[in-house]
Amino acid sequence: MTWWQAMLLAVLQGTSELFPVSSLGHTVLVPALLRWTFDRSAPTFLAFVVALHLGTALALIAFYRADWARIVRALLASVARGQLSADPDERVGWLLVVGTVPVALLGVFLENPVRTLFGSSAIVAGFLILNGFVMFAGEALRRRENPLARALPDLPWPAAAGVGFAQGAALFPGISRSGSAIVAGVLLRLTHEDAARYSFLLATPVIVAASVLEIPKLLAPDAHGILLQSFVGAGVAAVTAYASVAFLTRWFESHDLRPFGWYCLIFGSLCLVLALAKVIS
Amino acid sequence: MKPLALVLAVVFFIVAILYLVGVLQLGVAHPGGRHVSHFVLFAVLGALCLVWMRFQGAPATRLR
Repeated sequence: MTWWQAMLLAVLQGTSELFPVSSLGHTVLVPALLRWTFDRSAPTFLAFVVALHLGTALALIAFYRADWARIVRALLASVARGQLSADPDERVGWLLVVGTVPVALLGVFLENPVRTLFGSSAIVAGFLILNGFVMFAGEALRRRENPLARALPDLPWPAAAGVGFAQGAALFPGISRSGSAIVAGVLLRLTHEDAARYSFLLATPVIVAASVLEIPKLLAPDAHGILLQSFVGAGVAAVTAYASVAFLTRWFESHDLRPFGWYCLIFGSLCLVLALAKVIS
Repeated sequence: MKPLALVLAVVFFIVAILYLVGVLQLGVAHPGGRHVSHFVLFAVLGALCLVWMRFQGAPATRLR
């Protein structure tokens, strides 16, 4: 992997992890389009990917640092008290716990088999097209059925678990983690802004845990050769992820998911045609 | 609900330890050896059950 490839992957990861367009799908399709030939299962590459995820996680924590400080304080207070209260931060904290359990279960048990079965460019492109349709369907259903929005702390417990399960759909390369969580959120009557906030907060413990558990790969002797690339790549991913989440939180104040749906349909269709024509593999 | 929370907590902690020592290989990608991510998952679930048990001890509060 050259420096140019490493930095492009870092920008791609930092951006597509938070935009509802599937980072996993893009890390399969973009290298295929650019005809990069490095081994994606090599220990050095896996270590580099861990570093990129750590960078993204740090950006999310930095962006929502004030929220996390309030939420963690409220959670610890409720555990110490042994009782739930009406504090909105505490409620959001427990909603995040409830939403994280399903995605953690699905991730730990299904991640490897799903990615092994559905890793080819054609299938990933197909899932990216499906991701686009899911966003359009979510917007259409919301307009028809959910005229009254509710605030994030008013989300019922089963609905929080439902968003967590929806986020688990991102195990399929091409389906976006944030996209599926935001669609689930708006269908459960959250505003786009709150659905995006819940999605990004929900993604943070998952990305942090997944990255921390993989840190040994980064410290393995095989990875020493790309330590500098990994360090710089993590920084680039962190900066682009921070810019992405800043942009998206403003975007969802007054816009919806449809532009991202169009992007997924167009880019996914292009990649599917190229994959079926055997131009990319 | 308090006894159920305690039983679940004990079960989750036992499952977590079995994954950590490599005795349990259910649903793992690479059979053989320790499975730290499975251990962490079940240990966290066990801890959450203990928190749930603690909440059961408090007077009931009507929330949404």
